[in-house]
Amino acid sequence: MERSPKNHDKFDWTLTLILLLCFIISCTAIYSAQTTGQYADNFVLRQVFWYAVGAIIISIVVLFDSEQFWKLSWYLYGFGVFLLVLLVIAPESIAPIRNGAKSWFIIPGLGSIQPSEFVKIFLILALSRAIISHTKKYQTKTIGSDFLLFFKLGIITSIPLGLIMLQPDLGTGLVIVAIFTGLILVSGITWKLIIPIYGTGIVIFSTVFYLVISNPDFLEKYLKVQPYQFRRIYAWLDPHSFQTGDGYHLINSMRAIGSGMLTGKGFNGREVYIPENHTDFIFSVIGEEYGFVGGSLVIGIFFLLIYHLIKTALETTDAYNTYICAGVICMITFHVFQNIGMTIQVLPITGIPLPFISYGGSSLMGNMLAMGLIYSIRFHHKTYMFSNSEL
Amino acid sequence: MTKKKKKKTHVPFRLNMLFFIVFLLFSALILRLGIVQIVYGDDFKREIERTEDITVNNPVPRGKMFDRNGKVIVDNIPEKAITYTKYQGTSQQDMIEVATLLAKYIDKDDEEVRERDMKDYWILTDEERAKEKITEAEWDQYREKELTDKEIYNLQLKRITEEDLLEVEEDKEILAIFREFNKGYALTPQIVKKGVTDKEFAFVSENLEQLPGVDTTTDWKRDYVFKNTLRTIIGNISEEGLPSEQLDYYLSRGYSRNDRVGSSYIEQQYEDVLHGKKAKIKNITDKAGNVLDTEVISEGERGKDLVLTIDMDLQLAVEKIIEEEMLAAKKDPRTALLDRAFVVLMDPYTGEILTMAGKQIGKDEDGKQVMNDYSRGTFTSSYNVGSAIKGATVLAGFNTGAITPGTRIHDTPVVIANSNPKGSWKQGLGTLNDIDALKVSSNVYMFHTAIRMANGIYRPGQPLPFDSSAFDTMRNYFGQFGLGVRTGIDLPNEMVGFKGMDRSIPGLLMDLSIGQYDTYTPMQLVQYVSAIANGGYRIQPRMVKEIREPVMKNDEIGPVIQEIEPNVLNKIDAEPGWLERVQEGFRRVMQEPNGTAAGKFRGKPYSPAGKTGTAQAQYDGPVKFTGEKPGVMNLSLVGYAPHDNPEIAMAVMVPWAYYNEGPSINNNIGSRVFDTYFELKKKRNEEQADPQGPEHEVENIDEAQEGQEDRITEEALSSE
Repeated sequence: MERSPKNHDKFDWTLTLILLLCFIISCTAIYSAQTTGQYADNFVLRQVFWYAVGAIIISIVVLFDSEQFWKLSWYLYGFGVFLLVLLVIAPESIAPIRNGAKSWFIIPGLGSIQPSEFVKIFLILALSRAIISHTKKYQTKTIGSDFLLFFKLGIITSIPLGLIMLQPDLGTGLVIVAIFTGLILVSGITWKLIIPIYGTGIVIFSTVFYLVISNPDFLEKYLKVQPYQFRRIYAWLDPHSFQTGDGYHLINSMRAIGSGMLTGKGFNGREVYIPENHTDFIFSVIGEEYGFVGGSLVIGIFFLLIYHLIKTALETTDAYNTYICAGVICMITFHVFQNIGMTIQVLPITGIPLPFISYGGSSLMGNMLAMGLIYSIRFHHKTYMFSNSEL
Repeated sequence: MTKKKKKKTHVPFRLNMLFFIVFLLFSALILRLGIVQIVYGDDFKREIERTEDITVNNPVPRGKMFDRNGKVIVDNIPEKAITYTKYQGTSQQDMIEVATLLAKYIDKDDEEVRERDMKDYWILTDEERAKEKITEAEWDQYREKELTDKEIYNLQLKRITEEDLLEVEEDKEILAIFREFNKGYALTPQIVKKGVTDKEFAFVSENLEQLPGVDTTTDWKRDYVFKNTLRTIIGNISEEGLPSEQLDYYLSRGYSRNDRVGSSYIEQQYEDVLHGKKAKIKNITDKAGNVLDTEVISEGERGKDLVLTIDMDLQLAVEKIIEEEMLAAKKDPRTALLDRAFVVLMDPYTGEILTMAGKQIGKDEDGKQVMNDYSRGTFTSSYNVGSAIKGATVLAGFNTGAITPGTRIHDTPVVIANSNPKGSWKQGLGTLNDIDALKVSSNVYMFHTAIRMANGIYRPGQPLPFDSSAFDTMRNYFGQFGLGVRTGIDLPNEMVGFKGMDRSIPGLLMDLSIGQYDTYTPMQLVQYVSAIANGGYRIQPRMVKEIREPVMKNDEIGPVIQEIEPNVLNKIDAEPGWLERVQEGFRRVMQEPNGTAAGKFRGKPYSPAGKTGTAQAQYDGPVKFTGEKPGVMNLSLVGYAPHDNPEIAMAVMVPWAYYNEGPSINNNIGSRVFDTYFELKKKRNEEQADPQGPEHEVENIDEAQEGQEDRITEEALSSE
């Protein structure tokens, strides 16, 4: 393919390098992980395939510039919500219940697909557009207008959030909340609103957390929270007493990562059996085989990715692009923090994958879609050559 | 481009803030990762090295058995043993490696190794050449799934030649060990070799590290302090694991497959009591199966001890009497078929068996005559006992109204048309009442009682129509005494005896009334005579007096856990005064002139009562005859003493004692047994021995321990 020198300059080589590193890490880790023999499939080959699909998605998305996304955002959002509604009403033959959640569509020949992975991106687009529209309409910021924006963003978020929680998929739900929270912060809503709102959120969260630990009956009675979601918290705090489910996962994950020590046991040196270690628990394989050095390197790569996204967000002259970047940053940060955190007892276990590393078609395609947006922002960045980094 | 707006000034600040938050979160992750991997890394590493927890059950000794006076009858000897425990994931190759190494340290008998074992071993050790045994064409068939794994294997087996096998000839010892390894079940120690020498034990102990799965342990062997005495009653323990026919029964009760359990008699009957709680040990191993740490989960407990009702001194004395009397009797040519004799002594009120002695003359390998223990024959073999049961016949007559106390009948042969006349054992007994009929053992009295029970009207020389339901009436009544029914003794395999099927002629009913039709066991006889002695209660005979707590000290007996209470099975259906008449008849048998046992018992200080029995029977013993079996005399004797306050009941049974006529070996044995019992009692009273049974001391601990080594060497010699 011929590419003009100009195009060559506009192409995001840094991001490509980061994704290439992720690809190598992902394949290596999945290769080791599947030696547990939990499943007979060759996940490495499939992951390579999904990366290829991801590359195609990126090259398609790059063809669009942000103006086209702007126009498409509501349609995409609507399409995402439609898929989620379809998931709720679809029969089990096309939307089976796996691990207690109805989160997948079966697509004959391709396998299964998880709409919520894409809905996250669509939501970022919709929220970004809503912020821009709002600030355009209310040129002078007041507490009232800021509150209205908060309210609008809240409505836009709560529709997919509610549908996702219906599946139920707490992990992705939390990602949605993280995107919402991050965009609120970046959208420029006044501290006078953010502090009380976040403050209230933190107080409510702490109260519930306290109740879960000391008075679970109250919660079950008045808030109708499912008991298994408490168990997850108990298992996190005291895995040895809850060795059957999450506790077992956590103990083994800690054993695996801990025993990796500083430099790990080397490629394929994995000893501890952890179910699902090619998807949600991929980090335990990395931690075990490559130790603290390897684990930190992976976190470092993600940090580099976030740094790159922040830079993109700051460099772009288009506020819409900035918000998209911010949304993607929130999404990836939350995924990484939650996923790695749950393997080392920082957070309770919720089933979300490690972006770009965990095996999984939907997750990878969703993330590649997000990366496509970043490539596109870079590619169509009109003032790219003249702008100075503000960092 | 109207939508595009210049970035607001807040955006870079807020983005930087977001970046700062991300930085904080990622730093937290790295910090935590450092804590998990660097600070606690060693702990986790150690933890995964010892994740495999393996629980192993170690055997504990079985309960001991004591006699009623606290003499140990069955003890345990510790025996050094080498075990092998197969862990999950242990492969056949691993096992061969360990077996090869172990063969260097211990000697193992390879007699049991079969050709098939050698072939299997050959294939396992030389896979390459085993593959060559199969032609290319056959491999192709295999790949196309036309030949199964099993068929390939069978072809290999078939094609291994004699020469091939010669190669593994010298590995036979390894193979023998490997065989033992394979007998075990996962996670249960399998004994590879028992009776390990001290040298072997030391060698293996020193090299345990190189022998994964192998362990040295103490196994327990039964030690029979009195050797063959009561050996057949004590029973055996299964040699290798659970008996297959009762596998499910034991597995459902928490046994493991290689547990040895009581397989016969007392060992079997009291398995629940005798088997201990196994020690549970958790081995913490690394992935390679090396034991890193051992944690005792439960200490285990030796099985509980049994105090038997047997009086071992009395038992031994009685056995001696039987042997002596039999040997003396055998000198008489008429006793050619005599080969066994039984004596059972029971407390008529409690059912405690003080002695159950049975001796059988057999031949050892050299053809020399030996006396074998046959104590279990007292309840697993039955004989025509003859007149000893006449007490039951008289009471049956009373009960049915056929006769009343005092009924007199003239003793003259009963002649029925088309039958041989049936008379008493001697002519001219005269007219007798019920008591004297017992004293002189009148058959005719019993015949008439039986005829009347069957509503027959006897006219000499005429046919005698009769009601054959009298067979049932009489047998049912006999059953109240225990004759022809289970006595309920606490041992398996009890026999009830044979009942004659033919009920067509009155002569057979008459035979039944004098104990010459149905067969009874000696145990039934002692239960019967006890019921007469104790005033009409059928007591369950039993072997176990108490269950005792196991204690560690060898010379102590633990406290009582359970005392077995006497068990009255039924009360004889009789009116007051009836039993007294039978008792009086029995007293006269032994104490009055002309009593059939007066010759031996008259004037004895212990005031005996009883009844003799002589049955004309067809020989039904082990010697084979062509044609008709010869007629023989079975001798029996039941008795108790003292007659007014009985403390001991006795049954003596000597089947096939002689042809036609011979010595009264039954009375000889019986009188000596009673003499011995009362002498022993007197001696014990003088010595102030504790008559209440054992408390805390093992009476014969010194003898038991002294004799132990001899018994071990003796056994070793005999097994060679």
